[in-house]
Amino acid sequence: MASEKDVARERDRGLGVGSERELTPDAHEEGIEAPSDALGTLMRLWGAAAGQRWRLVVAALCSVLYVAGSLGATAYSAGLLDLLWGNIQAAFAGGAPFVVTLENGGRQILTFLGIWTMAWLFYTIQALVMASFAERLNLRLRERIGEKLARLPLAYYDAHQPGDTISRATNDLDKISEVLQRGVLQLLIAVCMVGGAVILMATYNLMLTGIFVSFALVSFAVTKLVTAHTLRVAAARQASLGVLTGCVEEAYSGRAVIKAFGREGASLEEVRAAAEDLARTSAEADFVTNAITPAVRLIMRLCQVTVGLLAGGMLVMGQMSVGVFQAFFHYVVQASEPLAQLSLTVNMLQGALAAAERVFSLLDESEVVPDLETPAVLPSPVRGRVSFEHVRFGYAPDRPLMKDVSLVAKPGQKVAIVGATGAGKTTLINLLMRFYEVDGGRITLDGVDARELTRADLRRQFGMVLQDAWLFEGTIAENIAYGRPGATREEVEAAARAAHVDFFVRTLPHGYDTMLSNDAENISQGQRQLLTIARAMLTDPAILILDEATSSVDTRTEQAIVRAMEAIMENRTSFVIAHRLSTIVDADLILVMERGTIIEQGTHAELLAAGGAYAELYHSQFA
Amino acid sequence: MSGRTRDYSKRASARLLLSLIVPYKGLVALTCVTLVCDMTGMLFIPTQLSAMVNVAVGSRDMSALMGHGAAMLVAALVGSGGYISSVFLSSRLCAKVGRDLRLRVYESSLAFSGSDFNAFGTGSMITRTLSDANVVQQTLLMSILMIFPVPLMCVISVGLAFSTDLVMGWVLLAVTVAVMALCVVAVAKSAPIFMRLQGYIDNMNTRLRESITGVRVIRAFGKERREQGRLDETFSDYASNAIRVNMVFAVTDSMTFFLMNAVEAAIMWVGADRVGAHAMQIGSISALVEYAMLIMMFLMMAQFAILQVPRALACLTRAASVLDTEPEISDPAGPIELVPNELTAEGGAARGEGGAEVARFDHVSLRFSDADEDTLHDISFALRRGQTTAIIGNTGSGKSTVAKLLLRFNDVTGGSLTFEGVDVRRLAQDDLRSRIAYVPQKAWLFSGTVAENLRHGDAHASDERLWHALEVAQGGFVHDLADGLGTHVAQGGTNFSGGQRQRLAIARVLVRHADLYVFDDSFSALDYKTDAALRHALAPELADAATLIIAQRVSTIRDADQIVVLNEGEVVGLGTHDKLMGDCPTYRAIADSQTRGEEDHG
Repeated sequence: MASEKDVARERDRGLGVGSERELTPDAHEEGIEAPSDALGTLMRLWGAAAGQRWRLVVAALCSVLYVAGSLGATAYSAGLLDLLWGNIQAAFAGGAPFVVTLENGGRQILTFLGIWTMAWLFYTIQALVMASFAERLNLRLRERIGEKLARLPLAYYDAHQPGDTISRATNDLDKISEVLQRGVLQLLIAVCMVGGAVILMATYNLMLTGIFVSFALVSFAVTKLVTAHTLRVAAARQASLGVLTGCVEEAYSGRAVIKAFGREGASLEEVRAAAEDLARTSAEADFVTNAITPAVRLIMRLCQVTVGLLAGGMLVMGQMSVGVFQAFFHYVVQASEPLAQLSLTVNMLQGALAAAERVFSLLDESEVVPDLETPAVLPSPVRGRVSFEHVRFGYAPDRPLMKDVSLVAKPGQKVAIVGATGAGKTTLINLLMRFYEVDGGRITLDGVDARELTRADLRRQFGMVLQDAWLFEGTIAENIAYGRPGATREEVEAAARAAHVDFFVRTLPHGYDTMLSNDAENISQGQRQLLTIARAMLTDPAILILDEATSSVDTRTEQAIVRAMEAIMENRTSFVIAHRLSTIVDADLILVMERGTIIEQGTHAELLAAGGAYAELYHSQFA
Repeated sequence: MSGRTRDYSKRASARLLLSLIVPYKGLVALTCVTLVCDMTGMLFIPTQLSAMVNVAVGSRDMSALMGHGAAMLVAALVGSGGYISSVFLSSRLCAKVGRDLRLRVYESSLAFSGSDFNAFGTGSMITRTLSDANVVQQTLLMSILMIFPVPLMCVISVGLAFSTDLVMGWVLLAVTVAVMALCVVAVAKSAPIFMRLQGYIDNMNTRLRESITGVRVIRAFGKERREQGRLDETFSDYASNAIRVNMVFAVTDSMTFFLMNAVEAAIMWVGADRVGAHAMQIGSISALVEYAMLIMMFLMMAQFAILQVPRALACLTRAASVLDTEPEISDPAGPIELVPNELTAEGGAARGEGGAEVARFDHVSLRFSDADEDTLHDISFALRRGQTTAIIGNTGSGKSTVAKLLLRFNDVTGGSLTFEGVDVRRLAQDDLRSRIAYVPQKAWLFSGTVAENLRHGDAHASDERLWHALEVAQGGFVHDLADGLGTHVAQGGTNFSGGQRQRLAIARVLVRHADLYVFDDSFSALDYKTDAALRHALAPELADAATLIIAQRVSTIRDADQIVVLNEGEVVGLGTHDKLMGDCPTYRAIADSQTRGEEDHG
């Protein structure tokens, strides 16, 4: 059993997977996580920002100047208020009403506005400069991901869920941009604001400043304490979401079974329990993440009350002027808000760094070995002789599957591959197409080692029809012409006719211009496969690979397709994987596979005479 | 979208939101109270502070100062306490609303027929149940905390300003209206760009998914560059649009900031005048400045939150369209109860005489509502106890649809389908399905253990019965698993091979005693040897029930008592293998195509 499972696992890395549902891409949208190497990741982000670091520098400079301006404005307002109050008292003493005019305080008010306007200017420059910084950086990283996708080995794709990779290219980068947009400068502004305010406060009154600093330290400690808790509750919510997602995906995929067994009630209860759990954990997570700010704000308000009372006392005693009182209090408020926001900012930064780490780890994945500098060139025309010479291969180095496989497919021969599901039939295709590289021995095409060719040159010789019919969002005609974008409509239609899909296409409202979409499933799996067959036909390759391509097509249609294939495969080599022995008995070479390796090879007659696994399989079918 | 459907979706989402919130009236009221506390407390801090200044420069009464200090402390506690409580209450409220929405969507889906469900699609249904509900939950929370307080804030602070001084009241009112107008313009400007941004995100996802799932085809055709180009296109589309959104935000942000400065200066100017006119006291100036700042801050936050609302409304509308879907199939008002048979009650000894009719298709036709032609047309045959009926035909010939009609996953649109002599439309769905054991085309197992899966058929089945079912279904491999029946099954059964899954799915129905066993192409993932052994072992098990096998291989069904040959939804042959080989060209063609090897070489 263990070995059977192993083989099944191997199969999961082969061509057959991809149809199982996966987590939705926004799986870690609500998560709050901590990075593992914050400094290193920051340095890499800095590196990635090459070419527009000036934006960051300008923005940082402007932010500092903005903070200076706004703290300065408050300082100025102290004098301004005292001046106004003095003038008002003087006027009252003279028994006259007081009116602000340009000469009478107005100029100072305008100066005050001027200082603020300077601060505003710097703030605006910073905002405009940063508006495009993050998205430009993201675009660059996304383009690098795009390049990376083209260079990743198939082993990566077989080992990772598509949703995981997509999430790195979309959600994770969005998190980074959000933080770059706001978080980084916010932190800088906060630090400058608190630091500057404390210094200015100290110039007015040391004792009151000391009180502020003590409260700030308390709020700091609270933030730190709650932040750890935030990570925990966020993880709990993430876990509940995972459970509910699994539960719902499973229930929707297994709808027919649930109904057939009358288990609607039981299933609803399962979903209810999972939803209940998510409601509990998400209420907790939402509360904790949103309550830190007001909690810290409360501490800082208590600070304000204390400062207000003490300073008020000084005011009464005449030890402090009205202006200074107001300014001091204003500094306390100005410095309190960043402290209240601190935990949000830190959470955001941490989440973004963790996201950046995921992005970089994708970019760090090992790539396929590049093609040779001076690749070999296939003799023209390509005849299609394929040979395996002592091929050794395993998906994992410690679990070799093929130990010493040799075979020869002569030009024009039909090679059939049979074996139970998971026997490793697709492994053979993986090696032929160089989706995976052999560990030992070599595979040659017309006598040339496949590894000496460029991959593009090698693959151009193959036409491939896979089990899982991949079509892209575009018209039917575009999909058929995928391998030969220059093909005329007549050629496209001819290929479709040969693949027996022309009639079907014509019944669609827009014919060959019908848009295919991957979600709408507007055509059946069988028709999709026929389209991929038409696509392969149009490229007119030297070698054809049919990977259980006909499994969703009924036998009669399959027969017709095989006949059409046989006609165009005249003098071309073909590799056919099929469950139905009837379609392959006339093959020139039959490869029988088991547990990832070839255990028998020969013609139908030879294998029957040998009385081995093939004979047994054949007799069980036609007993 | 036409005006009318927009109206509908607006109404539907509003109605849905209301119905989700109404059960938590108390919680909502309490949240409102806490938010009022929050706003009042927040605004009373500067009010008390200015009172302190006024006392300090006026009466210089220390105890009055202490009084205002105490009032400020109360305001701080009430304000922060109110806000923390409102966060607590609204987190719970929104979590409950999210949960209810999920459950309502899921519950309605349970009543859907296959066509109802496929009209949405599995992927879309998952999105509607999970992430849509999440968006609604989070947006609601944000609205409660960030949008809802805005009017409160405006009313209370303008009120406080008027109570300080009539002129200053008007000033503050003017400021409020101006900032609101600015926000409305900003939202109106950025909302469409924001919506478009969502479209670009979808594009990015689609293209990425395509280039990942299609990697083998892309490489086989050497199209890496083309795909990369297509990706870059969506990436830069997204980036340029996102930058535009950011620009709009930056400009609004900057304008609001400027307004704040101007307002502060204006309040100082006018305020000093008013103090000079004995209309108010000097300390009140800073209180008024503070009110204005708070109003602006709240409006800015609200503006950000409002931009998320259209997305949440779209999610609500999508959920509403699921909830508003009238299931195609529902139980009749007064269902007829099937006579309980001894079989289901006692586990199998006595039952109706062999050959008795279990189900009958009587001139049955089926046409899907969106189709121009019948999927099944004028089908007539009967399923009898002790007999095996097989259905064979091309892909698209309607084979699986026959099984779906029996289980009432779809309803006939012509003729009638009876079970134990009763039209299936007059039976309760549960009652009908409890009499049928059905193995679907795609063997689907649920996460849990092997035993749990097998007991879906009968929750109280003994271990012996499970083992027996496994033995018949050629599921002996379970013996070799370390944990036997307790072996863990991954979601969908992916930790088992296709063949193993199918055998477990067959064992699952064998645990249940039924009047009719339906195998929908259930042997296709089995190799021929296992297929043969399984059919051999099955025969005595199902001897007393009616059996329907839907198959692709002639070898699987050759021994059936009757074979129904379907072609394009019509019966083109009915009889035994030998009879059909003689008189049914379609059948012969299928058989020939599959046994060519035998004739050529055997």
